[in-house]
Formats: sequence, structure tokens, C-alpha cells
Amino acid sequence: MKYLLPLSILLGLTLSSCSETNPTDALAAHQNTEATIVTELSDMSLYNLESEWQNENNETIKLVQLNGKVQLVAMMYTNCTYACPRIVADLKRIEAKLENYKNGEVGIVLVTMDPENDTPAKLQQFATDNNLDPERWTLLTSSELNIQELAVLLNMKYKNGGNGEIAHSNIITVLNAGGEIIHQQEGLGKDPDETVKTIDGLLQNI
Amino acid sequence: MVNVKGGTFVPLYGSDSIPVKVKTFLMDVYPVTNAEYLAFVNKYPKWRKSAVKKLFADENYLKKWDGDLSIGPNAAKIQNSPVINVSWFSAKAYCECQGKRLATVEEWEYAALASETKANAANDEKFYQRSIEWYSKPNPTYLPPVQEGFRNYYGLHGMIGMVWEWTQNFNSAMVVGESRADVTMDRQLFCGSGSDGAKDVKNYVAFMRYAFRSSLKANYTVANLGFRCAKSI
Repeated sequence: MKYLLPLSILLGLTLSSCSETNPTDALAAHQNTEATIVTELSDMSLYNLESEWQNENNETIKLVQLNGKVQLVAMMYTNCTYACPRIVADLKRIEAKLENYKNGEVGIVLVTMDPENDTPAKLQQFATDNNLDPERWTLLTSSELNIQELAVLLNMKYKNGGNGEIAHSNIITVLNAGGEIIHQQEGLGKDPDETVKTIDGLLQNI
Repeated sequence: MVNVKGGTFVPLYGSDSIPVKVKTFLMDVYPVTNAEYLAFVNKYPKWRKSAVKKLFADENYLKKWDGDLSIGPNAAKIQNSPVINVSWFSAKAYCECQGKRLATVEEWEYAALASETKANAANDEKFYQRSIEWYSKPNPTYLPPVQEGFRNYYGLHGMIGMVWEWTQNFNSAMVVGESRADVTMDRQLFCGSGSDGAKDVKNYVAFMRYAFRSSLKANYTVANLGFRCAKSI
């Protein structure tokens, strides 16, 4: 319950990156009038990003709506033939080791690097093709600039070669319930033990 | 702003020496100054020194300023000098608040190829030598006013010889992690055009810029790193 944010507040946040106030100021302003406990985002929370995203169901969300559970985040694009299937496989290997946890405790987020091609419908198809449990997985797209902004925070380097291929780094990021980066697994086919241990550690503290 | 007429060039890093097309765009004549940045934080309190989130700017943000709304004791001397110790997020926000954006790496590099007289001075030995000399000089105690930077073919001042500048997609250079350690691609970490490599190795100054960019994180603030804005037409 600690990180639960009332939807009314989330919908009330329509600030762009050129705004005169802090998003948390807006949260604070609502705090007295809302019954639900609102936790202020920490300075390093990725949920401070105010950008809007579309999920695989074509719903518009803000990243702060991912709060409240541990999230595994990775970037990919559906036309990718080499690394992306492998990063999804790596995430599934981690997921397999989390079977003791409920979907409400751990989520997995895939963010596309190719918004031009990866529409919400394409993402939905990708989720179906790869048997991704909709209760566990969220697939996101947004504008190129918003994706780029998230990518820099995830220490991702990527470059659209313009030939249908995107050169990119492969990183799986573990976010705690408040949206802070706790751990990053870099490269493909890595032993998931350290990442799983990190998640175990986080969930024992919730 | 001035018009930078579009064209093609072969960037230092790219796929198969394919020239990259740059569309005509607008670019600020000068890097953003301390005085201009002060006006910005005046209007947008969340970018003040004491208010900015660490996610968006590290602890050296506006290091030389001595308060939220004060450039410091040397204000008279540096108010028209480039603002430095700003992060990618803050530079991006500044530009967005002016209805502009940061230039892409490709736009910036394309515009920086120009000498006083030529749009593309890549093969001009003298111009190249002067650029190298600037990069090998230590930072002056006080950066000069932006007007003192040399005016290039497009009318842009100080593209070289003033400060390093943030670009929109600074994280697109395909150099992994610690730039001095690994300039080759690690197949484990990348897919796609994984064989991207340096093209014109004699262009050491551009190489330094790419290497520097790839060593940055978006909340870093560095003593000789400023920015200017651009705009699509």
C-alpha cells in the first residue's frame, strides 16, 4: 500500500518536461485531500519522468503507474531477430525463478526502441506470440524522444541504422517498488542468479 | 537562430560509410549563456540548484553559481559566457521551454564541419590543426563571452573552441561503457549494425567528441560542457 497512488492524481498530472512545477509538488498538493497514503518519489526514481506511454492494450499510462512492485525493465523491438528474442528469453529465465512471487509483487516491462513500427497492436501480437502473461508483462511505446529519455536513464545506448536494424546494448534493469534502479544485468545469456537474488532481497523488504 | 542548409556527410561512426542526410535546420548562433540560463531558472523553479532532482542533474549542477538565482561573484565577467555544469535533462528542458530542442549528433557534427569560409572544411589542414590545438588546451579560468567564438560559414559562433555541447542523442555513439577501454563492439552487448566502427580515423577531434559523448550519462554535469538549441523547419 505504501506506494499506491490514486488514479485521480495520476490523471491530474498533465505536466510536460517544460513545466514550472515539480510533479511531486503536485502530489503534495493533493496529499491532504486524498485518503490514500501517497509516498513522495525519491530523487532518483525513474517515475519522476512525466512522459506518457501506450501499453499493449492501447491504454495511456505514466511510468509512475508501474510503482508498488518490483519491475524488471528491458528495451527491445519486435522486428529484431538477433538479440531481442534472447533478451526476452533471459527475462523468462528470471521469471521462471520467481514463481513463488505473485504477479502483484514483480512485473516485467518491455519498452520498444522502434515506435514507428511497434504500435500497441504490434506489441500485443508480440506478447501473444511469445506467451507473455498479461498479468506479469507490460509492453510500452511512446514518442521517440520519450523513449530516448528513458533509455538514457537505463544507461542504454542505441542507434537506428535506418536499415531496419537498431544497434543497441542489452540491459535488464531491476527497479524497486519506488522506481529506483537497484541492479542491472548487462549482456545476453547471463546467469540470472544475481538478478534473482536482488529481487528476493527487495521483496523481503516490502 | 541561423539556417544550416541541409546536405550529406559521412559521420565518424556509421554503417558502411553511407553518407548521412541532414535536413535543413535552425541552430542558435551562440551557446546558451549564464545570463540566459539564469532567466530560465527564474521562470522554472524546478531547475534551480536547490530544487533539481538528482535523477536529472548530479551534485555539480551549476557548480560555480553561488545560489539558486545568482551566477556568483564573477557574474559580470561570465554572464555572457557559456553556461556549464548543466545536465542533458536541464539542457533539453531549457530548449523545450523556448520551443526548440537540442541538435542531434548528426546535425551538430554536420554544422561543426564548417570553417569561416567553407561549409565542409574536413579536408582543410589549417582548420583541422586549429581544432586540435583547442582540444589540447586546458580550460581557461573564465570562459570567454560567447561572441568571441569564431563565426563559421553558417554564422554559428564557437562551435569549436568554446565548450563541448550536449546533443539530443548523445547516447547513440556505439562505444560501449568506458570509452577509453573498448572502442570495438562487443557482440554480446549489441545487435543490429554491430559492426559500426570509426570511419575517418584522421579526424581525431571528432573522435574525441564521440568518445566524450559516450562517456556521459544524462544527469552528468561537467565543467566545460554547455549546449545550444536547434529547431526543425
